[in-house]
Amino acid sequence: MAFKKVLTRHVGKKDCHTLKFYKKQGGYAQAEDAVKNQDPDALIDLVKASNLRGRGGAGFPTGVKWAFVPKHTDKAKYLVVNADESEPGTFKDRVLMEKNPHLLLDGIIICSKAVGIHHAYIYIRGEFVFAYRRLLEAVEEAYSDGLLGKGIFGSNFDLDVTLHRGAGAYICGEETGMLTSLEGKRGEPKLKPPFPAVEGVFGCPTVVNNVETLANLPYILEIGADAYKKIGPEKCPGPKLFCVSGHVENPGTFELPMGVNLLELINKHAGGVWKGRSLKAVIPGGSSAHVLHADECDVAMDIESLDEAGSMLGSAGIIVMDDSTCMVDALLNIMRFYHHESCGQCTPCREGTGWLEKLVHRIASGGGRHEDLQLIQDVCDRMVGKTICALADAAAFPAESIVKKFPEDFLHAIEQGGSPASRNRSRAAVGGGTDV
Amino acid sequence: MSEHATTVTWTLNGKQVESPPGLTIMEAAKLHDLEIPNFCYHPGLSIAGNCRICFVESNRSPKPVISCSERIAEGLEIQTHSEMALEARNSVMEFQLINHPLDCPVCDKAGECVLQDHSYTHGPDRSRFEENKTIRHTKKLGSTISIWGNRCIVCTRCVRFCDEITGTGELCVVERGDRSVVDVFPGLPIENSLAGNVIDICPVGALIGEDFKFEARIWDMKKTSSVCAGCSRGCNIEVQSLDGFAKRIVARENPEVNEWWICDRGRYDYRYLLAADRVTDASAGGEPIDSDTADSSLNDLVSENGGIVGILVDPMMTCEELHLVNRLSSTLSDCQVAAWSTADGEAESFPNGFTISSDLHPNRAGVGAIIGKDAFSTVAKGLRRSLDAGDIDLLIVFAGFPHPDLEKKWIESIGKAKVRIVFSLQSGSWCEGADLLLPSTAPLEKEGSYLNQDGRLQRVRTLIAAGQQPFPSELVRLQALLTHLGERPRSVSSSGVFRELASSVEAFSDQSHSTLGESGCVLSSGKSAVGSMGGDA
Ligand SMILES: Cc1cc2nc3c(=O)[nH]c(=O)nc-3n(C[C@H](O)[C@H](O)[C@H](O)COP(=O)(O)O)c2cc1C
Ligand code: SF4
Ligand code: SF4
Ligand code: SF4
Ligand code: FES
Repeated sequence: MAFKKVLTRHVGKKDCHTLKFYKKQGGYAQAEDAVKNQDPDALIDLVKASNLRGRGGAGFPTGVKWAFVPKHTDKAKYLVVNADESEPGTFKDRVLMEKNPHLLLDGIIICSKAVGIHHAYIYIRGEFVFAYRRLLEAVEEAYSDGLLGKGIFGSNFDLDVTLHRGAGAYICGEETGMLTSLEGKRGEPKLKPPFPAVEGVFGCPTVVNNVETLANLPYILEIGADAYKKIGPEKCPGPKLFCVSGHVENPGTFELPMGVNLLELINKHAGGVWKGRSLKAVIPGGSSAHVLHADECDVAMDIESLDEAGSMLGSAGIIVMDDSTCMVDALLNIMRFYHHESCGQCTPCREGTGWLEKLVHRIASGGGRHEDLQLIQDVCDRMVGKTICALADAAAFPAESIVKKFPEDFLHAIEQGGSPASRNRSRAAVGGGTDV
Repeated sequence: MSEHATTVTWTLNGKQVESPPGLTIMEAAKLHDLEIPNFCYHPGLSIAGNCRICFVESNRSPKPVISCSERIAEGLEIQTHSEMALEARNSVMEFQLINHPLDCPVCDKAGECVLQDHSYTHGPDRSRFEENKTIRHTKKLGSTISIWGNRCIVCTRCVRFCDEITGTGELCVVERGDRSVVDVFPGLPIENSLAGNVIDICPVGALIGEDFKFEARIWDMKKTSSVCAGCSRGCNIEVQSLDGFAKRIVARENPEVNEWWICDRGRYDYRYLLAADRVTDASAGGEPIDSDTADSSLNDLVSENGGIVGILVDPMMTCEELHLVNRLSSTLSDCQVAAWSTADGEAESFPNGFTISSDLHPNRAGVGAIIGKDAFSTVAKGLRRSLDAGDIDLLIVFAGFPHPDLEKKWIESIGKAKVRIVFSLQSGSWCEGADLLLPSTAPLEKEGSYLNQDGRLQRVRTLIAAGQQPFPSELVRLQALLTHLGERPRSVSSSGVFRELASSVEAFSDQSHSTLGESGCVLSSGKSAVGSMGGDA
């Protein structure tokens, strides 16, 4: 069966972001049906049966997460939509929010009905100004059309949606960091348990879902769990947005079935490695994933397959590196990011991310020693699994895998006085030419 | 009996143990005399779980778990010294130290620093970190406190204190990653009345009290457990002194009184000990006299007086001193004992329940229990009336107030006694024209006990070594006077005086200095003595 795009099928068409356009294509039909006719438990069961897995990075089964929310509670329940998309190499939620914002609202209504939520927040990355404006317009349109607010679709179900802009911190994409930030506090992850489903924002049960996760809901309701499970691998099915960036001819966001082959994705959809060069390495799931060596890239892009390959699907941000890439410089770039973004509460992450950047920086700029490679590995070992949130792991995974899989680049930098880029920089600084 | 389990059976380092349910691993281990290292954990604050030094190995997790937040459960098996546990804690110590300046030789915390302690047990002997260290700010956060940012381990104890205990929220962490450091908002310094506690609870030398900065090395100081005399609450304190001089006062834990905290008045207000207007020498009619002359003058003035005597005690006096006053009064044929005090201060209470009393005296309840419930009210009124009528032949005044804010009316009345003996801490109008002026011992300079506002009797101790007192204390002088009057064969220690008190005043009957221990005892009738006491005349 040929794959038909679902999430981005109208992207590129005129006014595809408007309510008028969205409704003309049959939009909000599933939300309306859910609100008016569906039993909340049946909705949760349907989503469980669909095997929908979270698209934010951790891949948790969405229906199972919803079922953790206490059914009978005096507290309000909240949905907080994770639209903080800041994982390097990831720009899929942005496409949805800019081009198809009503699809997200459609999904929000379905989730809210299923879990009994009457207030949803969308926590949107601060730098996404255009996406924010588009979402704001969509929310306003939805309110004026009776799709949000009191008694939506003429039912007795109320639902408010509030947009909240982040202030540019990657850690506010981690779910508990996002919730503390939403509460107006410093964006720091919290110890779990309690999990957000039991005690989340403002101390109340909270569902946290990624934008793309929620955008899948109308389609699941439309075609049913069985048909949905047939798209891609059964354990991890569905239409999926893949972001390809780096050294390819045609970078961008591609909607394909879950489980598409990584090489096919790069070569067929993203136009292949650019400038006729050959593939050196790919980070398949955002910069937090273990790197894949070129000869490990014949792999299916789904959670289980990438786990088996020693990496992860993560946010499906695919960063392609060609054979001209110095992996020392690539790693330095990644380490600078995590050092900058660690919130700083846990000792291993606060100190480890800085140490890694300084180590790699020293190697890149010509001060490296052979023992440093083992030291990088040791520092990574001492960070992984020892912190409140997964940012420490996210910093250690690329570090340990890049050093392990591309030792020759590091040895070269250690023995030849630094990485090629840094040697060029210092040559330029003394008035010599560059050899790009 | 309830059918719920009252204990949890679990395994600690291979040994089966039982603990009350609901405890964290760290709390439960402590009950079995095993202290698990910690930085961010503080029993009085919420659990942050950020420092990670409390890692242990659990049979329920493939990774090490933090014992300050993980709770015990039936069948849980915990290893605190397995390879995994030690490696995890050693890792944390290595990370803690890479950016730490290791400036212990000039750090005021050295000697009581938790980072130092743990680096002995978990630290590598050499660092693998050869990069440049991160530099963070050193600045004042308020009038009394500064942050030495390079030493901060970002445990957030201080931040949680200001959020949870005082509710004032002045402190926050600014910046991220290894640039993280504690700060205040511009223009909003930390100035709450419990602020000094953040210095006590900072596990390292990051929060420094301006008052103590570079004053003394921890290990050189003598530590005296005592009770604050700042108000009627009676917070437990530790006085740290060098060569008999107080250098610093810190909170001492007493769950029944002050938990882990004291207020800034209790912490910093000991400078009056060295105040310029402190009475240090005896004088007669304004002329200085030596100590021996003062003693015989005291004896003579009292024994030669055959008329009506008034004694005015103050609630800064210990129970033991008050007992001696009672004894004295009973030897004199016509004597009334009344009490006076200074004006009230500002009461304050905090979200977690900590309160500062407006009554600036530590032993008002003691006066009530020993001298009498009406000492401040009807008796005081009567004494004043007699003074104003010129009926008092001899008046003995105790004015051991560090901050005497006394009623003018009283001072006028005092001046009308025919003969006046004054024991005073500070010089002031009540000393003028006294026939005999004697120096008073301040609260931190005497042994004895105070009864607090809740009827808890607690020990106060002197920071001055025996034989080093610059002048005889009231305890000594009053006993010498009683001996002179033929009332007792010889002087005894304050514990001995307490024994006499216990046998003569019912409320104290079951107690001795040793029963009071480090945290005091509630007197069975203490509460009622406090409850029914009147205010000042
Ligand atoms: C450091 C870090 C950053 C994260 N950033 C994001 C993010 O930007 N967007 C996102 O949806 N999830 C992010 N996550 C994952 C969230 O914590 C959470 O798992 C997700 O939002 C749950 O939604 P889902 O189940 O729909 O995927 C991040 C996790 C970590 C540890
Ligand atoms: S792992 Fe890093 S980012 Fe996550 S909570 Fe700890 S210090 Fe913050
Ligand atoms: S200043 Fe002290 S108490 Fe406050 S976070 Fe830093 S180390 Fe902890
Ligand atoms: S509250 Fe009272 S007793 Fe406690 S420290 Fe302050 S002044 Fe001293
Ligand atoms: S004491 Fe447990 S994490 Fe700090």
